[in-house]
Amino acid sequence: MKNSRLALVGIVAATAIALTGCQSAATPDAEGDAGADTSLSDVQDSGTLTIGTEGTYRPFTFHDESGDLTGFDVEIATAVAEKLGVEPEFQETQWDAIFAGLDAGRFDIIANQVSITDEREEKYELSEPYTVSPGVVIVGKDTSGIDSLESLSGKTTAQSLSSNWYELAVANGANVESVEGWAQAVALLEQGRVDATINDKLTFLDYKETDAAGAAGLKIAAETDDPSRNAFVVKKGESALIEAVNDALVELRADGTLAEISEKYFGEDVTE
Amino acid sequence: MTESQWELLWTSLGPIVSGALTGTIPLALTSFVLGLAIALGVALARLSRVRVVSGAARVYISIIRGTPLLVQLFVIFYGLPSLGLLIDPWPSAIIAFALNVGGYAAEVIRAAILSVPVGQWEAGHMIGMSRAQTLRRIILPQAARVSVPPLSNTFISLVKDTSLASLILVTELFRRAQQIATFSNEFMLLYLEAALVYWLICLVLSSGQNVLEKRLDRYVAH
Repeated sequence: MKNSRLALVGIVAATAIALTGCQSAATPDAEGDAGADTSLSDVQDSGTLTIGTEGTYRPFTFHDESGDLTGFDVEIATAVAEKLGVEPEFQETQWDAIFAGLDAGRFDIIANQVSITDEREEKYELSEPYTVSPGVVIVGKDTSGIDSLESLSGKTTAQSLSSNWYELAVANGANVESVEGWAQAVALLEQGRVDATINDKLTFLDYKETDAAGAAGLKIAAETDDPSRNAFVVKKGESALIEAVNDALVELRADGTLAEISEKYFGEDVTE
Repeated sequence: MTESQWELLWTSLGPIVSGALTGTIPLALTSFVLGLAIALGVALARLSRVRVVSGAARVYISIIRGTPLLVQLFVIFYGLPSLGLLIDPWPSAIIAFALNVGGYAAEVIRAAILSVPVGQWEAGHMIGMSRAQTLRRIILPQAARVSVPPLSNTFISLVKDTSLASLILVTELFRRAQQIATFSNEFMLLYLEAALVYWLICLVLSSGQNVLEKRLDRYVAH
């Protein structure tokens, strides 16, 4: 049975690689005794800030008619990179893979409306929030019986896996179908495959702007109590980088850039 | 690896394996069996002397091989509802995978049939068998042996391709791993664990292939 012996060797080897791989990935503190936190100087030396984003989440990160990547998050991240004195370089990736991408060092920072949660603060460094907005429960126009978060109990909702809305839906007893993003969630809702979806109010308002026909079949059934506060994310231990990002946000707020970008997309300042 | 990572590896194994047993494996088996039936029909159609029939088979194969499986899945699941055809996640996945296997395996089966020497057909006619009889009793058994290795490839690919079903709401092995990764924030660890489980499944399939090859050897004229 030469085959099975070969396989055994392979499995042992792969496991060994996997384990050593995890070892380094699992070291939570880059600034332990391994040396100083070089996260900021690394970015400055390379001259580019690599930014992970979806590229498919309108109006935060998407491609405009000419095909260029743009959006609220993209513009703010670009402004932050400029304040740091480096070039922004966007890496587009699916939401489901975005944290894995950060862990693997594919980018320095995530700019994708990541909501601040306790779990994320434990595992990553989060910046000060740059978006504050309520969540809404969206249902079909003729749906009755859903008028609060609690009434989602036993109903089916569509949410992005690993989003805070996913957890909120689960916490309220909903059966959650996991999808890749807003586009699929809305498709499922319009096709009657799910009863509701929870998302950012801003996302829904933008959808109304861009797809009036689609949005006409939907309505907001409820609003969440506390607004979500969304931030940039870097790896744990990279405090030098996140502090520089926070400083940049303070400056951008002071010079009116944040308000300006926000006005452009939402007609009001949603950055605080 | 920290202790909590080892523990996660252990506690997540149950859900991941159950994702394989309730998702990946039934999905792959069902769509492979259906896909093979489609493939046999398409292969015979492709070999038909009737132009329209072989032309239709050709177009089908071309579309399946010329478009990504992910797109095929999305068209069936997200696209057909706009034509008023709302198919549930599971049937959608099975339809997409079966049609996909049908396109690829049809070419395997066609090649296998053509690989049987012409003399075998002639021998069939000589003893008074019709074309259909010769095909069924002499040609197909030999073609089956020839097609085992390439069809095994198709099946093994299919097992891994079923991970795409997670994108149309089927919870299978990979989705389970992603779900656990989400709440534990241990992405690499769980992706590797999922990879290992896929690998183990495919190892079992490869040894099944060996057994099948040996059994079918008796049908081959030497």
